[in-house]
Amino acid sequence: MLLVLCPNCGPRNSTDLRYGGESHARPDPNTASPAEWRAYLYLRDNPAGWLRENWYCASGCRRWFSIERNTATNEFRDPPLPGDKRGGAA
Amino acid sequence: MAGLAGRLRKRPPKYSAAALAWKGLRGQSWPRVWRDCDLQRSYDAVVIGGGVHGLATAYYLARNHGMTNVAVLDKAYLGSGGSGRNTAIVRSNYLTPEGVAFYDRSVHLYEQMAVELNINVMFSQRGHLTLAHSDASLRTMHWRAEVNKLGGVNSSVIGPDEIKKECPSLDTSDHPRYPIHGALYHPPGGVVRHDAVVWGYARAADHMGVEMHQKTEVTDILCEGGDGPDGKGAGGRVTGVRTNRGDISSPIVINCTAGWASLISTMAGVRLPITTHPLQAAVTEPVKMFLPTVVVSGSLHVYVSQTDRGELVFGASVDPYANYSVRGSLEFTEGLAGHVLELMPGVSRMRILRQWSGLCDMTPDYSPVMGFTPVDGFLVDVGWGTYGFKAAPVSGEQMAEAAATGRTPKLIEAFALSRFDNGELVGEKGAASVGH
Amino acid sequence: MTMSRQGVQPTEVIDRAAKLRFRWNGKRFSGFEGDTIASALAASGEQIFSRSMKYHRPRGILTADYWDPNLMVQVGDDPNVRAGHRLLESGMDVRSQNAWPSLNRDIKAANGLLGRFLTAGFYYKTFMRPQWLWPTYERVLATFAPGGKIDLDTPHAYHDKRYTHPDVVVAGAGPAGIEAALAASSAGASVMLVSHEHSVGGHLRYSSAAADQAALAELRTALDASDVEVLTDSTVTGRYEDNWLGIVQRNHPIAVERLIKARAKTLVAAPGLIERPYVFEGNDRPGVITSGAARRLVNLWGVKPGERAVVFSANAEGDAAVADLERVGTEIAAVIDGRTGGSISSTRGSSRAVDAVVADGASIGADLLVVAAGWTAPTSLLNMAGDRPVYDPAAARFFPSDPPSNVLATGGLAGDADLDGLRQHGAATGRLAAARAAAVRHRLQSRTARALPVDGDEPAPAPDERAPLGRDPHPELYRADTHGMVDMSEDISSKDLVAAAHEGYDSVELAKRYTTATMGPSQGKLETVNTVAAIAEARGETISQVGTTVWRPPYAPLTLGALAGRMFEPVRVSSIHPWHEANNVSIIQAGQWLRPDHYGDPAAEVRNVRRNVGLIDVTPLGKLDLRGPDVGKLLSLLYVNKWMKLGVGRVRYGMMCAEDGVVLDDGVTGRLGEDHYMMSTTSSGAGGVWEWVENWLQTERPDWQVHVTPVTTAYASINVAGPKSRELMSRVCEGVDLDAEAFPYMTVHQATVAGVAGCFMWRIGFTGELSFELHVPAGHGLHVWEALMDSGSDLGVAPFGLEGQRIMRLEKGHFIVGQDTDGLTLGPSTGLGSLIKLDKDDFAGKPELAWAADRSLPMVVAIQPDDPDVVPEEAAQIVRGDTNEILGRITSSRYSPTLNRSICLGQVEPDLAVGGTKLTVLLESGERIGATVIDHHAHFDPAGERLRG
Repeated sequence: MLLVLCPNCGPRNSTDLRYGGESHARPDPNTASPAEWRAYLYLRDNPAGWLRENWYCASGCRRWFSIERNTATNEFRDPPLPGDKRGGAA
Repeated sequence: MAGLAGRLRKRPPKYSAAALAWKGLRGQSWPRVWRDCDLQRSYDAVVIGGGVHGLATAYYLARNHGMTNVAVLDKAYLGSGGSGRNTAIVRSNYLTPEGVAFYDRSVHLYEQMAVELNINVMFSQRGHLTLAHSDASLRTMHWRAEVNKLGGVNSSVIGPDEIKKECPSLDTSDHPRYPIHGALYHPPGGVVRHDAVVWGYARAADHMGVEMHQKTEVTDILCEGGDGPDGKGAGGRVTGVRTNRGDISSPIVINCTAGWASLISTMAGVRLPITTHPLQAAVTEPVKMFLPTVVVSGSLHVYVSQTDRGELVFGASVDPYANYSVRGSLEFTEGLAGHVLELMPGVSRMRILRQWSGLCDMTPDYSPVMGFTPVDGFLVDVGWGTYGFKAAPVSGEQMAEAAATGRTPKLIEAFALSRFDNGELVGEKGAASVGH
Repeated sequence: MTMSRQGVQPTEVIDRAAKLRFRWNGKRFSGFEGDTIASALAASGEQIFSRSMKYHRPRGILTADYWDPNLMVQVGDDPNVRAGHRLLESGMDVRSQNAWPSLNRDIKAANGLLGRFLTAGFYYKTFMRPQWLWPTYERVLATFAPGGKIDLDTPHAYHDKRYTHPDVVVAGAGPAGIEAALAASSAGASVMLVSHEHSVGGHLRYSSAAADQAALAELRTALDASDVEVLTDSTVTGRYEDNWLGIVQRNHPIAVERLIKARAKTLVAAPGLIERPYVFEGNDRPGVITSGAARRLVNLWGVKPGERAVVFSANAEGDAAVADLERVGTEIAAVIDGRTGGSISSTRGSSRAVDAVVADGASIGADLLVVAAGWTAPTSLLNMAGDRPVYDPAAARFFPSDPPSNVLATGGLAGDADLDGLRQHGAATGRLAAARAAAVRHRLQSRTARALPVDGDEPAPAPDERAPLGRDPHPELYRADTHGMVDMSEDISSKDLVAAAHEGYDSVELAKRYTTATMGPSQGKLETVNTVAAIAEARGETISQVGTTVWRPPYAPLTLGALAGRMFEPVRVSSIHPWHEANNVSIIQAGQWLRPDHYGDPAAEVRNVRRNVGLIDVTPLGKLDLRGPDVGKLLSLLYVNKWMKLGVGRVRYGMMCAEDGVVLDDGVTGRLGEDHYMMSTTSSGAGGVWEWVENWLQTERPDWQVHVTPVTTAYASINVAGPKSRELMSRVCEGVDLDAEAFPYMTVHQATVAGVAGCFMWRIGFTGELSFELHVPAGHGLHVWEALMDSGSDLGVAPFGLEGQRIMRLEKGHFIVGQDTDGLTLGPSTGLGSLIKLDKDDFAGKPELAWAADRSLPMVVAIQPDDPDVVPEEAAQIVRGDTNEILGRITSSRYSPTLNRSICLGQVEPDLAVGGTKLTVLLESGERIGATVIDHHAHFDPAGERLRG
């Protein structure tokens, strides 16, 4: 059971949170080309290493935050930041 | 020299009861299932990933298209990834017509496999039940059954009484928190001995001259003419691969990896719609046979079957967060046990013996990514989520055809990478959240 | 071999005054309290406990503890019980598992004669032809499945779990583990000491040496006086991320087993060492036992293991076994010393004889062969923490490499020393564990933004200044000059492994998979290193070069019952639920909710709503209370339509799409005040939409001032529908003018209803009738419902359920997200494309919806079968004529009691989505029927006159 560091609630079991996926910026919806928009929707870096990602503290403070985690070792790198860019389509 | 000698080797002995008896009597041993070859500097095609997909691709390249100067590279041993970590379920009762046609071909190839590859893969077509615990899921079962029937696949919705008859250990009363309203019953579905499939393809491919190279890790993909750095990326073409054992040149490189599909494709400058999640499984101690069919519950995120050795093998849905670690979690076995007992309260004294996990490359539409990429000569057979094993034979057959002919076969048109450029996704998502 | 009970031993754990009677394969036996099942049977002279998996060879005691692969028995409805560990209880019904017709005469033992043909993996090479016979072969193979039987009537006894957050967990209660626990506790840490055995002490328990017994007494006294929590007959089964530990407690007074989940700040792994069997011809014969088994039998249970023994000893444990055996009168026929090159080649003899054949071919008559060939380090917990142990050929075992800082090893796992040395290392490990735990505690606390302030700086990481344990030299004894069993559970011999390696299955993982060695119930505890050694030998490599397999959780198996615990998946009911239950309701489960499906006759409920007035409990409808100056902007961002000009008191329907343009949810939102809105969502979408809203607000528009409160269950929701609903409402409402002009369609008012203030209601019409949807503070839901029922009896008021509502919404052609739409349905496919306002600056999914306008998409349409009495199944496929080409499907269908005909919604290919198009619908029966697309979605009252009334 991963301990995820919520900026408000502190270390919490990962089952208390919802995973929000890779952080990435939303393109301007009025100027994005189909390729840019669909890259935002579907394409992912999916690294085996450090990844900035979003979590939602679903059973705690109900805040979205972003944090860096190593997807190969599950270490977290401090500190978590509140509300980074969203995780794409629902 | 070693390569030439390897290719000219005489035909190895066939497996049969008579051969087994003869060798047993004479105390003779069997030859190697596949040769240990020297790595050549050049091949007509390089397949990355020595799992069932890569080996099947190599086998069909040789068998159907006469391409035998082919190397399969694996960074560990053959079948060390998802091929040996899955729960070995085979079925074709998918939701979309594309899915049904594709997996039906796969079931057909599995049915022929033991004879064709001359190895007993123990395909046990014991029937497959997908349970419905709500109106909504029962409606989806009906939908699948109708599409299945139109695709010529044996599949129908049955009620609790028939379910009880097929599988007496299931609690079909109305007591549970998730009562069983009905099930999609798929008689041809079943389980296979997954390792035997790996070894069978490797052995058969080896007989035709394909080389298997274990402990050979691809560290880069060599390209020219692309729009990215080092000639990688769209518009370019592949020239070979770099490995921990040196460079290999090849006009065709096929990415048949799972778990590392994104990382390998990135080496060619191709970004994929993939997130890697572990999928866990567990096995109990053996008990005498009592579970005759494969049982799946989508709502409860669990699937279970009993092996010929008497163990219950379980799986669930992928872990909730992206991860390349395969250590497993306690919450997985806890959730699994709770859900299994909801379905079969009588097994509460069975003990979990071992848990493990493998990496799954999840795509947004629960369908694979197959065929050509913007880099000429670089093909992918990836994004297999939790359903790759059951598709291995047909994937190999179709990928081999694509690589050998340069054209996308009809059966995999729907799974092209380009669908994510034009927003034409495949509709398996609704049915496949736990699609075993 | 003839085992028998001897006189009282000073170290014994049995109470000879407490005799326990039990049954073994139907016959009466007895033992003493403190006996294991196996020790009681052994004391009674039993020598065969099981039959092996493949060859059905007779098997006796091997290790006499939990890991003994030959002592798996059935106890009542409990399969695969470890008779070497499970304590005897009065009245136990114990049976052997893998034998037929009886343990002593087993028909399948004939397989032994076929051994040379049944080599590992033989099944892969045969039974391929004829193909039609394979199912029969398979059934025969399946009869070889080993193990016990499950009884499907076994109740799932619910066991609560325990959660705990100790500073230090010590796994293993030998002298080093106990010292570690005591030292950590003295240093101020909270400590849990977990003993796999029934009592603490590790190997000291079965040592007859006076110094060992004195030390054990001292340690036990110290433990009793300490704050250490001691769990016995419990095992740390797994170490997961961040030291999340699973601990199975097998001796809980109530539960069969209990799962304890511990978040330990440091874990001390002190499991001791497991004695490794030696591989030689006949090594699985009953009467061949490990030195540990001999010592346990003698010292714990007073059982003499045999009359005349040969001892093969390569270490002090073997030497100690000689002394123990002599003390109980076993004649020592020979001691073969493995340290000076002595070896055992094979065993011979029949029945009770176990004649040992030594290297020069001489046979020594005996009935017992005791083997002390070395140790396996059970590094499981370290493996699970990511460590890759390293093999030391000089000590002939694996040692820890570099575990993470919150996992420490001590005791035999870490090295060798005399008892004092082990105790000192244990104590040093305990102090280090406590120091590191304090640092972890400080760090966790100081990183919690809203926790109480933490005093001081984070302690510097405590360095590991323990004096390392030594490594006693030990000969590498894995296999003699003959082949024997490596995996007793699976009947895999060293010959099988060598053959597999020669065939190309020459890495540990491949050989393991091919032969199934280490896959059985002991999971490699006894056989892994011998497996590796056999492969190394076949490859001509060292054990280090071949490497070992990764030990996976659990360390010891645990029941599904303990893992499952209680199922915490509660159901939800509305505050009106008691009324439904008292009124003949038929319940339907919808997600977590239990909802009224109908009250006997849904068609009559529909007719009553169309004619009079009906009530439906719609409490599960998702409700979000939105407040703040920027709510209008938020709504415009999340819905596809426009919201900036919604006046106070107005209600509007909205459709939400995800960023890929796929329909996500729909519902109405009303403006209750200047900065106050109430959003409704679908019942199933309530949770998801809430997170969706928060995600947008927190990550994309953090500067907007909107406060979101989910109020789904804060209100009970009642829809009052039918031509007489206004009349009914007027009888219970105060402070609101219900007149059509004052309270028109798609408006919202706050009111006092049946004396309950703080209600709000909106005029909307999912059923297509004049209707008021009331939202009442939840505690008053039942009261208001009853008031409505009482006040309207003369109007014909009657409840209706979900089924009636579904019929009526289908009559009106309202689609349901997730039923009539699916995971690929884009906004315009719903037929509500005109809602999508692409001239808005931004909204979720805008680009996709803009591009969708140019695409030809499947469409949701209303369909009527040509035969009004035929109701196609939901999911019936729409096909092209007599072909199997799929053109769409029926997504909803019902028989309409209002129109007296079947009605449907469906999704069809774009060119078919035109009123009047003739369709072919394939029924589940295989029959193909004709049907027609109608002009609009509404089968009934397309102009909407009734709901606006």
